[in-house]
Amino acid sequence: MKILVPVKRVVDYNIRVRVKADGSGVDLANVKMSMNPFDEIAVEEAMRLKEAGVATEVIAVSCGVVACQETLRTAMAIGADRSVLVETDIELQPLAVAKLLAAVAKKEAPQLIILGKQAIDDDANQTGQMLAALLGWPQATFASKVAIGDGKATVTREVDGGLETLEISLPAVVTTDLRLNEPRYATLPNIMKAKKKPMEIVKPAELGVDVAPRLTTVSVAEPPRRSAGIKVANVAALIDKLRNEARVIA
Amino acid sequence: MSILVIAEHDNAGLKAATLNAVTAAAEIGARLGTDIHVLVAGADCGTVAEHATRIRGVTRVKVADAAHYGDQTAENLAALIVAVVDSSAGGYTHILAAATSNGKNTLPRVAALLDVAQISEIIAVVDVDTFVRPIYAGSALATVKSADAVKVITLRSTSFDAASQGGNAAIEAIPVGPDLGQAKLIGREMTRSARPELAAAKVIVAGGRGLASGENYHKLLEPLADKLGAALGASRAAVDAGFAPNDYQVGQTGKIVAPALYIAIGISGAIQHLAGMKDSRVIVAINKDPDAPIFQVADYGLVADLFQAVPELLAGL
Amino acid sequence: MSRYAAPLKDMHFVLTELAGLDRVAALPGCEEATVDVVEAILEESAKFSGGVLAPLNRSGDREGARWADKSVTMPKGFKEAYRQFVDNGWNALSGNPQHGGQGLPRVVSAAVQEMWKSSNMAFSLCPLLTLGAIEALELVGTDEQKAIYLPSMIAGKWTGTMNITEPQAGSDLAAIRSRAVPQADGTYRIFGQKIFITYGEHDMAENIIHLVLARTPDAPEGVKGLSLFAVPKFMVNADGSLGARNDAYCVSIEHKLGIHASPTCVMAFGDSGGAVGTLVGKENDGLKYMFVMMNAARFAVGLEGLALGEIAYQHAVAYARERVQGRAIEGSASAVTIIRHPDIRRMLMLMRSQVEAMRALAYSVAAAHDAAARHADAAERARNQAYVDLMIPVVKGWNTETGNELAYLGVQVHGGMGFIEETGAAQFMRDARITTIYEGTTGIQANDLVGRKIVRDGGATLKAVIGQMQQTHSELMKPAGAEFVAIAAALGGGIEALRRAGDYIVANYAGDMRAVAIGAAPFLRLLGIVSGGWMMARAALVALGRIAAGDADPFFPAKIATAHFYADHVMAAAAGLALEVEQGGASALALDEAMF
Repeated sequence: MKILVPVKRVVDYNIRVRVKADGSGVDLANVKMSMNPFDEIAVEEAMRLKEAGVATEVIAVSCGVVACQETLRTAMAIGADRSVLVETDIELQPLAVAKLLAAVAKKEAPQLIILGKQAIDDDANQTGQMLAALLGWPQATFASKVAIGDGKATVTREVDGGLETLEISLPAVVTTDLRLNEPRYATLPNIMKAKKKPMEIVKPAELGVDVAPRLTTVSVAEPPRRSAGIKVANVAALIDKLRNEARVIA
Repeated sequence: MSILVIAEHDNAGLKAATLNAVTAAAEIGARLGTDIHVLVAGADCGTVAEHATRIRGVTRVKVADAAHYGDQTAENLAALIVAVVDSSAGGYTHILAAATSNGKNTLPRVAALLDVAQISEIIAVVDVDTFVRPIYAGSALATVKSADAVKVITLRSTSFDAASQGGNAAIEAIPVGPDLGQAKLIGREMTRSARPELAAAKVIVAGGRGLASGENYHKLLEPLADKLGAALGASRAAVDAGFAPNDYQVGQTGKIVAPALYIAIGISGAIQHLAGMKDSRVIVAINKDPDAPIFQVADYGLVADLFQAVPELLAGL
Repeated sequence: MSRYAAPLKDMHFVLTELAGLDRVAALPGCEEATVDVVEAILEESAKFSGGVLAPLNRSGDREGARWADKSVTMPKGFKEAYRQFVDNGWNALSGNPQHGGQGLPRVVSAAVQEMWKSSNMAFSLCPLLTLGAIEALELVGTDEQKAIYLPSMIAGKWTGTMNITEPQAGSDLAAIRSRAVPQADGTYRIFGQKIFITYGEHDMAENIIHLVLARTPDAPEGVKGLSLFAVPKFMVNADGSLGARNDAYCVSIEHKLGIHASPTCVMAFGDSGGAVGTLVGKENDGLKYMFVMMNAARFAVGLEGLALGEIAYQHAVAYARERVQGRAIEGSASAVTIIRHPDIRRMLMLMRSQVEAMRALAYSVAAAHDAAARHADAAERARNQAYVDLMIPVVKGWNTETGNELAYLGVQVHGGMGFIEETGAAQFMRDARITTIYEGTTGIQANDLVGRKIVRDGGATLKAVIGQMQQTHSELMKPAGAEFVAIAAALGGGIEALRRAGDYIVANYAGDMRAVAIGAAPFLRLLGIVSGGWMMARAALVALGRIAAGDADPFFPAKIATAHFYADHVMAAAAGLALEVEQGGASALALDEAMF
């Protein structure tokens, strides 16, 4: 079976982003970009399924600017067989990405789409679920274990307070959580081979998708600075502060 | 027009996160002058619906009671919510759910089916169409405005107070949708007792040399960690002294952590330790030395004998 | 835990703008080394270095390699990291494609090796020694030796060593005594003891191929009687499988100031009947082969100086940003992070600017090495080879001396916390210390530079390099701005100092060899500093061009500021060093030996 792996180009997770002085967003100029870490886990899972003989082909897809080609090359260096870039300069929001991916999926007809549960830039945690909805497919989000059976997938999910295991029919969408696997490092021969693997480039219009944003960012601000610490008089006062001011305990 | 809140529950009882969601809904509702409805979809969930009627500010509780809603699978639930929105006479302006596993799982599916954006994990309501939400793991706060007719929203429950009791909403049984049969829950394993992994924990209880012995470390800190669902951590001094194993060490030469709550007990706060935990959201320090450097980074400092304070804290939580 | 983030941006800048990666990629056999592929390689190598090697750096230092019963156990995690290193193909980066290597050029290998060395210097020595042994076998090995050894060594499945030093034969190889006795089957039996054998024994690979310098029975005295032998730890059967254990054992390991995780072995060959070895190349030509390999080995050690300077800088910056101590000198409401203090700033700039200068020099020499080996035009090959030969002792000597200075400054920035092992700053200083010693001390590099590289061609290659520097200097006269005035003045002064010192050496070497030799090390430092300043000036010009073209990346103004600092603070030493060369001989030799 074919596996489609959507990957997103995001600010590298080691970078601490700065809010622009005019509050229009975060400063992304000249900042190192990498593949979204949750998507790396998705590529890794797809590769494991291929190595286990479950998948026959792994196709990486990315939506966004020309530079997303680098992200796709990274996916192919890890082992994806080929890739598709849906190229646009328009700011893409999760619904638009889900629509683009749904269009690609209809063309490619994969049995499984596996992607990160969220991107570490917008932290939206939506695309996989939306994609499943648009395709009318079942979904298993926040996966920590994936097993593919005959026409179905058994997926263990990380949910509040524990784990639950779902059986879903294929084709389906799976989104990855951190503990699903530990992504490998690309090997040098594969990095060199990645350049020669095919990459198809399409435009949203060719897929018939309207990608106009639905949300406008009014402003972006720094989170409030940690206020200077205080000393509390006793344990009761401490508990009160934690419960009612910091709201970190129930 | 009304606002729809999706109840978080386990068929037996309503989860507290629903109360936070109602508060967020009420902040929007106050601006629009609209009602708040709660949707309870579950199996044998009558008790939950009863609970929901008593939330102050809720005027109507819609109940879809069927076996195939029992496990809260996203496919069935999303289809139901869309049907509720489509069939409601007055229509809904907003659909809200707490950003729990269920909320995060289901609501984007609803948004896509309605062809609208979702606004994830809001922490504040600015206006009926404008909300604040953290991005980049909380390094920035974005204020976003939605142009969609229906706003589908998940909210961070710690950012909204719990709605109080005292309401008296009407219950309305609504038609159940078909079982799509796409997903089946085959197992559930709740791990409340096991401690979370240090690097990923939301709460960390860490001990230092002030605990004086390994025995004290375990006796005092373990019950507190269990109570808070916290991971245990330690300063290098405590690890070197053998109070705690190596992999508990937080700091420059140990693990770098940034939990929502970090409780440093008997830790003086050497710079190497601070380097490993200073990005924690809330830092609590309990130490008997008022000049300990840990107090310089602590949001809440308690100058006290930890052997008294820790049991007291445990009892008070 | 030691943290390392490869300076990808500066590496990319140096490769593409200063070292001429595009020209290297146009060389025969380097077609794969296009900018996009190299960038992908560096990114992944950065991830591997930061994610796998760096986390083992401190624990490796603390634990050290351990010896028991003729075996060496590596520190926890090293074996697994090495397996990953090999599985991911890193060992084969520069290897000959005929034997499974990727055949990437030296300039790419230089950047990748810098990362290994920064993230875990002790680990990096294992592949370094293997690469040296591979080079020797490539150069003069028989077809059979190549077929037996190269594929496994290039892959990294087997590692290699260089067995040169003996207790009585350190820098002086003429004193080597190990014996090689020819056997009827064409093999030799090797007898003798070798010391300071890096990775002579370890548990990370299934076999170790020792290259051993020894004397055949009728060999002439001195360095002209040394032959090179391949002596495997385990004999290799005809089908490639491993056979009997050879009589080559590690009898102890050294307790060292630094690189604790790198086992430095005392090797005993032939204690029980003789270690079986095969001749590599021709009898008595061993030293010649050593010299050919020496350029690569010395260059690699020069990279270590750069790499340790870089990691020391990264840690110093991180600490200076975090450590709150004292009020600002001009007054502040509360205590400030020490990066606000002017002297801390000066030290950080000394580190940053010299790291960047060393990197630019090292990579450009690596690129010239590629051209010297692969250029289609013989004249170009010769020109590049002359530049490489001149600059190798500088990269080795200046980079390692400077690397030590920067590691020292790294400790200084940390203050008292730097003297405590926990911050890790001290480890970089300890690890750096060997780099000015092995593969020829700085003194030996300086003698090589003056005696062979300057005097032998009458200063011609040096003059050619000075000519290129002058070219850059004239370009510096065009842009306006205080930075460029200062950079131009400093480079002008540096060129003048270099010319004077070079002329003095050429004119006086024959007549007053000992006095000129006193100035050898200062001259090496002078050539290093001015070459580094030349590179920084070129970098500033490129940066200016990018800014003029509308590039808003803050990297470029920072590059100009750093070059300006280098001109003000580092180049200032050039004139003094020239004086030291020209005038320092007599006083240094004035005392009679008995007066010491």
